[in-house]
Amino acid sequence: MATVRHSPAYKFAFYAFMLASVVITLFPFVWMLSTSFKSPGEIFTKTPTILPQLWTLAGYRNLFAAVNMGLHLFNSVIYAVSITVLSVLFNAMAAYAFAKLKFPGREKLFALLLVTMMVPGQVTMLPVFLILKSMGLLNSYAGLVLPGTAAVFAIFMLRQFMAEIPEEILEAARIDGFSEFAIFWRIMLPLCKPIIATLTVFSFIGAWNDFLWPLIIMLREDKYTLPVALAGLNGQYNTDWGLLMAGAVVVVLPAVLIFLLAQKHYIKGIAAGAVKG
Amino acid sequence: MIFKHKVFYAALLLCLGRAPVAAGQQLNVWAIGAEGKLIRQAAELFEARNPGVKIVTQGIPWTGAHEKLVTAVVGDMAPDISQLGTTWMPEFRAMNAIEPLDGFIKSSKLDTADFFPGARDSNFYQGKWYGLPWYVDTRVMYYRKDLAAKAGYKNFPADWEGFYKFAKALKASKHEGYAFALPTNDWQIFLMFYWQNGGELLKDSPLTAGKFEGAINYLKRFFDEDLAPLEGGNDTDLLTAFESGYYPVFISGPWMISQLETSKPLLNGRWATAPLPAGERRASFMGGCNLVMFKSSPNKALAWKFMEFLAGPEMQARWYALSGDLPASRKAWLAPALARNPQLSAFRLELDTAKAPPQVAEWENIAGNINDAVEEAVFGRITPQAAREKLSARIEKILAKSERQQSPAFKIYLALFLFLIPVCAVALHLRGTRALTRSKYQPIAVLFLLPAVLILAVFLFIPIVASFIASMTNWNMYGVNDWTKVVFIGLENYSGLLRDPVFLAGLRNTLLFAFIGVPVSVTLSLAMALALNAQLLKAKAFFRVAYFIPVITTMVAVAMIWRWLYNPEFGLFNLALGYAGLPAQGWLSNRWLALPSLILMAVWKGFGYNTIIFVAALQSIPESLYESIALDGASTRQEFWYITLPMLRNTAFFVIVMTTIGYLQFFAEPYIMTGGGPLNSTMSVVLYMYQQGFKFYNLGYASAMAYILFGLIFAFTAVQFRVQKKLEGNF
Repeated sequence: MATVRHSPAYKFAFYAFMLASVVITLFPFVWMLSTSFKSPGEIFTKTPTILPQLWTLAGYRNLFAAVNMGLHLFNSVIYAVSITVLSVLFNAMAAYAFAKLKFPGREKLFALLLVTMMVPGQVTMLPVFLILKSMGLLNSYAGLVLPGTAAVFAIFMLRQFMAEIPEEILEAARIDGFSEFAIFWRIMLPLCKPIIATLTVFSFIGAWNDFLWPLIIMLREDKYTLPVALAGLNGQYNTDWGLLMAGAVVVVLPAVLIFLLAQKHYIKGIAAGAVKG
Repeated sequence: MIFKHKVFYAALLLCLGRAPVAAGQQLNVWAIGAEGKLIRQAAELFEARNPGVKIVTQGIPWTGAHEKLVTAVVGDMAPDISQLGTTWMPEFRAMNAIEPLDGFIKSSKLDTADFFPGARDSNFYQGKWYGLPWYVDTRVMYYRKDLAAKAGYKNFPADWEGFYKFAKALKASKHEGYAFALPTNDWQIFLMFYWQNGGELLKDSPLTAGKFEGAINYLKRFFDEDLAPLEGGNDTDLLTAFESGYYPVFISGPWMISQLETSKPLLNGRWATAPLPAGERRASFMGGCNLVMFKSSPNKALAWKFMEFLAGPEMQARWYALSGDLPASRKAWLAPALARNPQLSAFRLELDTAKAPPQVAEWENIAGNINDAVEEAVFGRITPQAAREKLSARIEKILAKSERQQSPAFKIYLALFLFLIPVCAVALHLRGTRALTRSKYQPIAVLFLLPAVLILAVFLFIPIVASFIASMTNWNMYGVNDWTKVVFIGLENYSGLLRDPVFLAGLRNTLLFAFIGVPVSVTLSLAMALALNAQLLKAKAFFRVAYFIPVITTMVAVAMIWRWLYNPEFGLFNLALGYAGLPAQGWLSNRWLALPSLILMAVWKGFGYNTIIFVAALQSIPESLYESIALDGASTRQEFWYITLPMLRNTAFFVIVMTTIGYLQFFAEPYIMTGGGPLNSTMSVVLYMYQQGFKFYNLGYASAMAYILFGLIFAFTAVQFRVQKKLEGNF
């Protein structure tokens, strides 16, 4: 964009607008953080304050006393990391075939995949549960992770991105005697780093925040993931909000961290996948 | 197809599966919520008294507990004993999952006459016991003593007429707020008044004529005379409103005592509980939880021993000390801690006459319809009599749809279906691929596709086909655990849906969500992306993260804050309206405002996602394009129209398609904020589908809904692809 000189008044208005919008988007996050440090009497008042008047760590203390944090954190990490690693690999392989290899019925299979995105996911939950049951995979990490290791949305995005990569690069590699697997592993994947970072964030955050699926698949309490274990702290009617918000902070922080880490790649990734939507 | 090899896999599971359990000495016990942790202490007591017995307790969160229990039954993974909500009993009985207890009761010292009659009712069905009451709760009045005194009342009124006058006096004695919090979307509250008025449920006729209208007319007066607001209740708002005197009176259960004591300590001594004012008779709502034994339990004698221990008067009194749960045993109430607590005397009085809803498996579905009918009547959209007639007809229809037995033809149809699907797929496939020459194929592609396609085939295609077939059956809770009760009913679900007013409301709302939400969300995302991309802006990474934060923040936290923003008494929005001299609004309770309120929230939560996609696309526009047009002396506005917008066309298309699919599947916001109310004005197709599928277990009906929605999304997407093609020609 050509450099334009802006008047100080314009600059001021622009920054005021940007700051206002950030206040609006960050407000609930800050609120959650501050509530987690408030005492019960302070949480619901007519005129709440942004900062706690009386800081307390009671929410966190109760949280760590009530929940075996190490164990559930470990389960969550296993779940989110294995789903992320496997799904990125499987989806990238499929996307490579759809983008760069020729086989009969390629377009039709792809169109079929796109159509399945339009079926609301809720209806398939019980059939998937029954299938896992017939395979004897209930209450196992395999049953928890397997259904999430392929995703149409991810294949779609990866394919769009890979289709942009010039055919000449691949032809040159083939002439040099590279196998298709070597091309995929040593050329395609490195070129797709940005989009892979994107999908890593998506599948990590998706699995990390998932609640209902780990709850119904895992039978034993010691296999619960963090969100499931934390949900167990709510009463049917009464809720300890300080404790709940402390729990929410503990769950959200790793997700924010992952986003921060991937943020630079992330930006590039979506763009490339989406531009040729 | 999934069920055929049940026996084989069960055998396989036994061989490969879990480690052998020390036979006869171990029990698996599930409890929900806070009880899930506390039950450990009761288990330890039992273990100490019965050496060699090991009790494995497991806690389940209340959110999702119902789904968890149903899937456990279906998956043959149920524990020996579980806690069960009183209104869930008939469903699990219908699924043939729980063991009748009469044999055990006969040879036991447990005195079943000691339980409150309402607590007994939810366990007792057609002459058989299916569970034991564990703890009870019931509803009473909470009121501000100081404000009542100011209005000239020393004691809480004892009957309907007295309560109405009291409410009038209360309202007259203060400047703002109401006399009484009376949620319009809570069937439990309505039922209490209905029962008090002498009404009965599902006795001879679904509802008692005259009594229903009487209860509605009594309640409607409170709304019409502005003694209570027309809106749904929410406990968290109640606490603050009770403190400020906005609602000096409300109806709630025993859990509210400790909530008030801990979160509003300044109010201690200024409030009290009172029995509900009596109508023709006294009647409160009997809630609480039961203990049930699952049919699959291998260790029923020991399971009974533990249940007997938990339900007996001695342990019930101890359990109150541990958990604060009210005992279901009348003898347990003689313990000093209970008998001498002044706040509990109102509960003790109500428990003798409290009633449980009728024991029908379709109760959850009926309850939802009661909410709808009562709401319509108190909002004055239909007369009380019309509401009763409509509700009676709905109830009769729901009950008529119950159990059916499968005919042998079912398997033939099913086989035909399963055979036709691959045939059609192959036929379709052959039609178009003849043109390709074989030499161009790369067989290695199969290896690349294999993992993802295999997983998608097993966990996506088969379930989709299965749910499509299910949409043509009556698959409901009777068939969840018993395959032989599923029957083909052709297009009956689909035709039923097109006549179902709630579904049609959901369809209309879903379209509104999409028509308003998508343009607003996409335009806002684009605007914010342009701002983020401006050269003027420093610290871009910070702003990107800030805009993405709502996308990753947990829904629970988001909902809590938005509830506060929309609070009618002290929410930020009404505060702002007040400063501007405008009247306060019921953001979530007004049926014209509720939908826009939810759209606003959804846009706020989701726009950051699209913003980042646009930012990325903006960055990929080559600088050279801007430079050349700048040389021609173009203005910033011209740059936007001639370069930026055309270059964003593909991204915008992608974003619009994905956002439309997302908004047509709108679910989380109404689910967590309004439950679809008021008057179904925020009911969405997916929310209704979820309710039908996972609350009422009408899985066939829910699947049919999914496919109508699928058709709609497909049509939308097809139109968008068309428009995109046309536009492409114009640039």
